[in-house]
Amino acid sequence: MAENASNAGPEPGSRVTIGITFGNSNSSIAYTTDSKAEVIADEAGDRQIPTVLSYNDGDEYYGGQAKAFLVRQPKNTIAYFRDFLGQDFKSIDPTHCHAAAHPEDTSGTVSFSVKDKEEESSTLSVSEVSTRFMRRLVSAASEYLGKKVTSAVITVPTSYTEKQREALIKAANDAGLEILQLIADPVAAILAYDARPEAEISDKIVVVADLGGTRSDVTVVASRGGMYTILATAHDFDFAGVHLDNALMEHFAKEFMKKHNTDPRSNPKSLAKLRLEAEATKKALSLGSNAQFSVESLADGYDFSVSINRIRYEMVGRKVFEGFNRLVEGAVKKAGLDVLDVDEVVMCGGTSHTPRIANNLRGIFPETTAIQAPATSTTAINPSELQARGAALQASLIQEYEAADIEQSTHPAVTTVKHIANAVGVVTGENGDVFLPIMPAETAVPARRTVQIPTPAEGGDVLVRVVEGGTHIKVTKPEPKPAKEESADKEDDEDDSDFDSDEEEEEEKREKIWKIGGELAEAAVRGVKKGGKVEVTINVAADLGVTVTAREVGAKGGVRGQI
Amino acid sequence: LLPADWSADKDFKRLNALSSASERTIEPVGPHFLAHARRARHKRTFSEDDRI
Repeated sequence: MAENASNAGPEPGSRVTIGITFGNSNSSIAYTTDSKAEVIADEAGDRQIPTVLSYNDGDEYYGGQAKAFLVRQPKNTIAYFRDFLGQDFKSIDPTHCHAAAHPEDTSGTVSFSVKDKEEESSTLSVSEVSTRFMRRLVSAASEYLGKKVTSAVITVPTSYTEKQREALIKAANDAGLEILQLIADPVAAILAYDARPEAEISDKIVVVADLGGTRSDVTVVASRGGMYTILATAHDFDFAGVHLDNALMEHFAKEFMKKHNTDPRSNPKSLAKLRLEAEATKKALSLGSNAQFSVESLADGYDFSVSINRIRYEMVGRKVFEGFNRLVEGAVKKAGLDVLDVDEVVMCGGTSHTPRIANNLRGIFPETTAIQAPATSTTAINPSELQARGAALQASLIQEYEAADIEQSTHPAVTTVKHIANAVGVVTGENGDVFLPIMPAETAVPARRTVQIPTPAEGGDVLVRVVEGGTHIKVTKPEPKPAKEESADKEDDEDDSDFDSDEEEEEEKREKIWKIGGELAEAAVRGVKKGGKVEVTINVAADLGVTVTAREVGAKGGVRGQI
Repeated sequence: LLPADWSADKDFKRLNALSSASERTIEPVGPHFLAHARRARHKRTFSEDDRI
C-alpha cells in the first residue's frame, strides 16, 4: 500500500464514492443518498451487470450486451475472469470459460487473446481485462450520478489472498479508481441489513449463505454489538447457480431430443443458446410458478418452445439443492456450533432468489432463526443487491478519512483482539440455577453490556452472582410409542409446542441449555424496593479485566468492583 | 436473595478471573468498528468516549 502514497488519490473532501461488487458472473454498483444505499442500473437498465467483456468490429461491449455475444462471438468474449486475478495460470480452473475466450498461459499469468480492434487481435492480461471492465462500471455510475466517481469500496471473497487483493487494487487504480478499502463479501451483506434504520444492533450469530453463479460461500459470523468476527468459512465450486442451469439444460435437451433426434449440446452455438435461455428460465421460476423456455433455431434449424413448472424444476435440481443444505450445515459445524446457536441466516447472491433453497434452510434451522430471503421474509432485501449496498455504505462511512487513517484503522494491531471464550452472565431464578447471559461468547473485548434483572417480589437485599456460562445441546429421546396414547394429553402442557402431528412427536427434541460455569464475583445490592429491578453492567477490558457495576434501577450509587 | 451471613468489603466479593479467551480478527467494517478503532487508536475507554 505504501507505493499508493506517491499517486495520492483525491482529497477526502472531494471524493465521489460508490460500492462495487465484482463477481465472476455478475457485478453491481451502488451509491448512498442520505445514508441509504441504492443500487445503480447501467445504460441497459441492469442492476446485476454480467461480468462479461466482448469485442465486435472493434467496438467494446460489456454486461448484458456482451453476454449475448457468447452465442455469436464466443472467441471474442471474455467471461468468468474475476477469480483469475492475481493467480498463477497453474492454479486456475478454466471450466467455465470453455464457451468463451479461453484463458492462456503468458509466462505464468493468465491472459486472453481477442480481436479487440477491427483488424488485429491482442493478448490481454486478466488484469487489463479487469481494468477495462471496471472502467465501464465506473463510467456507468458516473453517468448516473452526473459526477465523476473517484473512489470505491469493493467486496471480495473471504478466500481472496493478499496477492489477489493487490492485483484487484492495481486493476482498479489503472481504471482511474481509488480503492478506499476491500471488504469481505459476507460482512458487506450483514452491514446492508444492520444499516437499515429499523434494524436493531444486537448480539447474534449470523450465517451468510452467498450462493453465486460459479461458486458458493458460506460464512459463520459472530455479530457482537455491531462488530463482526468471522468464525468459519466454507467455499464450494460444485454447488452453485451454474449447476442449476446445467440441470435445466439437461432436462430441456432431452425434451428436444425426443422431438428432433438431435442433441443441442453437441454443437457449441446450440449449447450457448441453451445455456442463456436455461438461466433466463431459472430466474423466471424464482418469481413465478411457471416459466417458458423457448429458443429460435436451437439446433438443426428447429425452434423449440416448452413450459416448465416450479415443482418439476425442483425435482430436476434436487441434487444441487441438497448440496446447498450440506454446505450450510457443514459451515455451522466447522464453527463448532449447532443450528440451534444460529440466530439469523442472511441469504445473498443471485441463486438465493430460489424459493426452494430458502424453504429448505427454513426446515434445517429452528423456528426462532430468521431466514432473510424473499421466499421466507417479507422484509428481506434483494439478495443480489446486498453486497453492493454494504460496500456503498462502508464507502460513505470512510470517505472523509485520509488514506493513511484507513490503513492504520484496519491494521491487525487494531483488528486482532481477544474474544471471550465463554458467555458472562448472572444467576437468576427461584433456586438460583438459571443462567442469564449478559455478554455472549466470542464477544471482542473491550466490550460493555448492561441488563436489568428482576428481583424477588418482596424486595430487600439482593445478591448478584456473576458467572461464566457455556451452552450445550440437550437431546431428549422421544417416548416409546405404546406409552404415547395415554400420556400424550397430559404431557402436552409442559411441551410448549401446540403441534400434535405424529411426525413431530417421533423426532427427538433438541434444545440449547445453559450450563453455569465458574463464578467470577458476587455483589450485594441492599434495600431494593418491592418489584424493583437491578441493573448489572459488565465491562471487560482489553486485558480481560472485568468491572462489574450493580445498582437498583432509579437509585443512585450501587456496587462497583473489579476482578 | 442475599443470605444473612454474606458479607464482603464494600459489598463486593472477587472470586475468579475470566477463564479463557482466543485471539480473533474483527472485520474492519461498519460504524461500530470505526468507533472501536477510534477508541483503540486514542486509547480511550467507553466512558471517556461517551463524554466526547
